[in-house]
Amino acid sequence: MRKFVRFAALAAVAAFSLAAAAFAQEVEFKDPSGDDNGPGTYTYPTDTVYKSGSFDITGFAVRVKGDKATVEVTVNSNLEDAWRLGGGFSVQMAFVFIDTDGKEGSGFTKGLPGTNVLFDPKGAWDKCILLSPQPPGRVRNEVETKAADMKSAIILPTRTRGSSRTISASVDLKELGSGDPQTWGYQVVMQSNEGFPSGNDLMTRKVNEYEGQHRFGGGNDGDCDPHVMDILAGSGAGDKSEIDAQHQMLEYECNADGTAKKLATLEMVHKK
Amino acid sequence: MQSGRIRATAVVVAAALVVTTSVSLAEESKLKIAGTTYTKWLWGNMRDDGSLYNFTTVPGEGYGDNGQGSEIELFILAKVSRAVEVKARLHSRFNQNQWTNFGGWGGPNPPTVPCVGGDCGEMDPRSNQYVKLRGVTVVVTPGYKWIDAATIGASDFGMFDPWVIGKIRYIDRDNGSGVLFQGSAWDRQLTYDVVRISLPRLWAGPNYTTGEFTAQDAAYGVQLKQTFSPKFDLREIFQYVNDMEVVGTDFDLDDGREVSQRFRNSVVGLAFGFHPGSAIDVGGSYYNSVSDSNSLYAPASFGIGGFSPVPAGKLDDEAYYLNADFNDIAGSGVTLRVQGFHIGAQYVSMMAARRESDVLLTEGHDAAYMYPGPSNAAFGVFSNNPTRLGIGGWDGNAQQLATINVDNEFTDFDEPMAETAIGWEGATITPVWTKGALELSGEYTYLTYDTNWQAFGDDSRAVNSTIYPTMEGDTGVGHNFRTAYAPFQDKETDIALAKVKYTFDVGKGLDVWGKVKTISETDERLNEERYLPYQPGDCPGGGVACANVVRNYSPGNSTSSIYGNPGVITVGANTGYQWKPFDDISDDDRDLSYWMTQVGAGYQLTNDLYGALEWNHFDADLEDGNTAMQAYNLHEMASGQHRKDIFAAKFKYNIGGAEFGFEFQYNMAEFEPDFGGGFVPQVADVAISQAHNVPLGSLGFTGRFGGWNSLEDRDFTQYRMKGFMKVQF
Repeated sequence: MRKFVRFAALAAVAAFSLAAAAFAQEVEFKDPSGDDNGPGTYTYPTDTVYKSGSFDITGFAVRVKGDKATVEVTVNSNLEDAWRLGGGFSVQMAFVFIDTDGKEGSGFTKGLPGTNVLFDPKGAWDKCILLSPQPPGRVRNEVETKAADMKSAIILPTRTRGSSRTISASVDLKELGSGDPQTWGYQVVMQSNEGFPSGNDLMTRKVNEYEGQHRFGGGNDGDCDPHVMDILAGSGAGDKSEIDAQHQMLEYECNADGTAKKLATLEMVHKK
Repeated sequence: MQSGRIRATAVVVAAALVVTTSVSLAEESKLKIAGTTYTKWLWGNMRDDGSLYNFTTVPGEGYGDNGQGSEIELFILAKVSRAVEVKARLHSRFNQNQWTNFGGWGGPNPPTVPCVGGDCGEMDPRSNQYVKLRGVTVVVTPGYKWIDAATIGASDFGMFDPWVIGKIRYIDRDNGSGVLFQGSAWDRQLTYDVVRISLPRLWAGPNYTTGEFTAQDAAYGVQLKQTFSPKFDLREIFQYVNDMEVVGTDFDLDDGREVSQRFRNSVVGLAFGFHPGSAIDVGGSYYNSVSDSNSLYAPASFGIGGFSPVPAGKLDDEAYYLNADFNDIAGSGVTLRVQGFHIGAQYVSMMAARRESDVLLTEGHDAAYMYPGPSNAAFGVFSNNPTRLGIGGWDGNAQQLATINVDNEFTDFDEPMAETAIGWEGATITPVWTKGALELSGEYTYLTYDTNWQAFGDDSRAVNSTIYPTMEGDTGVGHNFRTAYAPFQDKETDIALAKVKYTFDVGKGLDVWGKVKTISETDERLNEERYLPYQPGDCPGGGVACANVVRNYSPGNSTSSIYGNPGVITVGANTGYQWKPFDDISDDDRDLSYWMTQVGAGYQLTNDLYGALEWNHFDADLEDGNTAMQAYNLHEMASGQHRKDIFAAKFKYNIGGAEFGFEFQYNMAEFEPDFGGGFVPQVADVAISQAHNVPLGSLGFTGRFGGWNSLEDRDFTQYRMKGFMKVQF
C-alpha cells in the first residue's frame, strides 16, 4: 500500500511536470518585481497574512478564445486563501482598466472610489474588470452603492480564481466592446481586498502614513495619496526602468489637511 | 498684588483656552461608528441545544446543533489627532442567547448550575443578551524617528510569527491586550516590533491556567526584520513568557511579598527569505525553545490521559522548516512547492498560534474523523460522553500548528479544524498545474515522528506518570487534534492526494471539482518485549486465571500499570478472559488504510445566489490494537472497517449589503468492529444498555476502567444545518 502511494504520488508529480501549455490570441505584459511600493515609499501591513510579494505584479495577460476573454494577473508570491473566501486567494484585489477606443477624452478619467487616482485623458478608461475574492453579489452591491455612475463600465466576472501565483477570470468578450484587444490600452491597479471598507472606498485597503496591522504605510492619512501598491508602467516589458516610470506616475501632493493638491495620474500601457 | 496675580492668571488661562480651541478645531476628532449584525440558525438531529456553537470541550459550557440567535457588533473609531487614534468594539455574544430565551427571560430563578442552553436566563451573562467591551486600543504615531507606532491595548498580535507568537483568538479576534512598539531604521531596511502581552490566564500556562497570582504575568516579544534587498531578508524573533506566583511561605508582609516563577518559556527564532526571481523562492526558519514548569505550582506529571497545553518540567527542543517554491517551471504552468520540516517533541511556545494559522504545507488529516471513537466521541466507553459534533466532524482538512495548545473551542461544523503538529518531521511536495479553467493539484507527504519512542522516551519513569499530557489519546481513524504524545510509538504516515477543478463554459459557468486522498499509516507502538506487562505465559488460557507476575522494563516500572490482566469470566457456556491479555508486542499495532473521495459541482444560480452540491466518501480499514490495548482503556475502540458519506448542499446569497450562508449535510456512516479474539464477549444487561446507549442483549466487553466497548456493527445517521445572515452597516 505504502509503495503504491509513493509510486502514484511521484508519477503524478512527473505527469504534472511534463504538462505543457498553449494558448490562442493573447496580449501579455510583464512588470518588474520589487516595485510593490506604490510611488516608492509604500509598505505592507504588518499582519503576517500579507506575505512579501503579495501585491507585486509580475505579469498581466489577456487571452481570447471564442467569445471569452480571460484576464490573468500574476503576483510575486503564492496565493493563499487565508480568509477562506473560496476562490483560492484572499488579500489581493486587482482592477484591470482598459481603454478600448483609444480616443482621447473618451471614457473615465477618474479612478474607482478608494484608489485616489486619475487617468490621463489620453488613456481614459472605458471598461474595468474587477478581480475580487469576494462573492460577486457583494461586489455588485458595493459597485452599485459606491460607483453607480461607473456601474455600466465595470465588469464583474461570475467567478475569480487564484491558483499558484495567478488571479484569473473570464468575461464575455462582448462586454468589453468591439475592437482588437491587442490594440487596447491597459492598466492594472493592485490593491488589497478589504472586507470592512472605510466610507465610500470600493473594498480597498487604505494607505496611511504609518503601516498598521491591516493598513498600508508610507503614504498620507488623508485621501490625497494613491491607494495603489503596484501598476503597469512604461512598455510593460518588465524592464527595471519601469519602476521609475511607476513612481513618477504615482507622484502626488497633499495639502496640510490631507486633501489632494495633485492626485496621481495613470497612463495606459500598450502592447508594442 | 493679589488682584494683579488673578488678572494675570485669567489672561494666561484665556490665552490657553484660545490656543487649545484653535488646536482642537484644527485637529477635530472624527468619530466613526460602523457595525455588523450576525444571526445564526443551527438545526440537527443530535438535538443538543446547550449553546449556539457546535463544539466545545470547556467544562460547564454548552454546545449544541439547534438554536437561533443574533448578535451585534459596533466598531468605534476616533481619529483624535494626527498622532492619536482610538478603536474599540461593543459586541453582544449570542453564546446561549437563543431566540427562545425571549430576550433573556429564559431560565428559572434561582438558576440551575451549570448554566447551559440559556437556562439561567437573566442570572447568567451568557444567556441575558450581554454586551462585552472588546478591542479597546489606542494607537499613537508620535512622528519620532525611533518609533512609528505604539499600540496600547487590544490586538490579536498577528504581526509576529505563528511558531512563536501567533494570532491570539478565543471567539473574538482581539481578546489579548498589551503594549506594542513598532519602528524602523535605515530607510525601513530594519523594522522592529517589541511587545508586552498580558498573559491570558485562561490557557497560557500549565493545566490551562496561570495560577493564583495572574495580574503581572506576561509574554514579552521582540521581532527584528532586515530587508537587505528585494532578494534577501532576515527576521529574528524572541519570546519570553513569565508566569509568577506569590510565595506562600513569605509571612513577613512588611517588606512586600515575594514571588517565584510558576512557568517560564523562551523561544528564539531566525528566519530567512531568498527571492532570486519569480521562478524560485526559498525560505526557512529555525526555532529553539526552553520551558520550565515549577512543580510547586504546576503538575509534575500526568497519568495516561492528562490535559495541559505544555508538558511538565524542564524542556528544550527545536523546530525548523525549509520551503522551496518553483514557479511556472519552464513555462509549463506547473508550480512545485516543497517543504521539509521538523518540530521537536519538546518544542514549546506558549504563545504560538492556537488556531488561526497553518504552519505546514501539507493538508494533514481530515476533520471528519476528529476524535477516537467511531462516532467521533472522546472517552466514549464511559457513559455521558456522547459525540459532540457527530459523525460529520468538521468540514474539510485540518490546519497544522506548532503547539499542543490547539483551540477548536466554540466552533461550528463548517469551520476548519486545527491539529497539533508537535513531533512531526518529514517532507511535503505539492505540484499545481493550471491551464485556463482547469486546475490540477496534488500532494505527497511523508511523516515520521520525533515522538517515536518507548515508555515516553524515559525508561526511568512509570508510563502512567509521564511529563507528557496525552489529551484524547492517539487512537481512532484520524488524528485527535491536540494529541501529540503516546506512551509507545513507532509510527510512519504517508499522505497523498490529487485534486481537480474545472469550470465548464455553460451558462454562467458550471464549477466541478473532485479529490482523491489516501493516508497510509503504521504504528508498531510497543515494539520491544521487555515492555510487555507480564512474564511470558502469565495467562495460560483455558479458563485458568493469570498469575499476574509483573515484568519490569526498569526497576519498579512495568506497563502492567496501564495494561492490567483480565479476570476470568463465564458468559453462558463460555469461560475465559474478559479481554485479551497483553502478551504480544503486536497487540497494540496500528495499520491504517484510508481513502477519501470527493466530488462536487457549483453554479451561480442568479447574480446573487451561488449553490453547490458535494459528496464526500470515506473508507478506512483500520487495525488499531485489540482488546489487550483497549484504546488506552479510555476510548471506544476503532479497529475495523469504517465507511462514511457526507452529502452537503451549500448556498451563498448576497442582497443589498446582506450576506447569507447556508449548509445542510446528510451524513451516514457504518462501523464493523474487528477487535480480534482471545476473550469472552459479554452481553449488555439493562444497566449497560441504558448507560452506554447500546441494545439490550448486544455483545461487547467491559474494559479495565469499567468502560463498555460494543462488538456490534454500528450504523450512524446525522443531518445538520447551519445558516447565517451577516449585515454590515
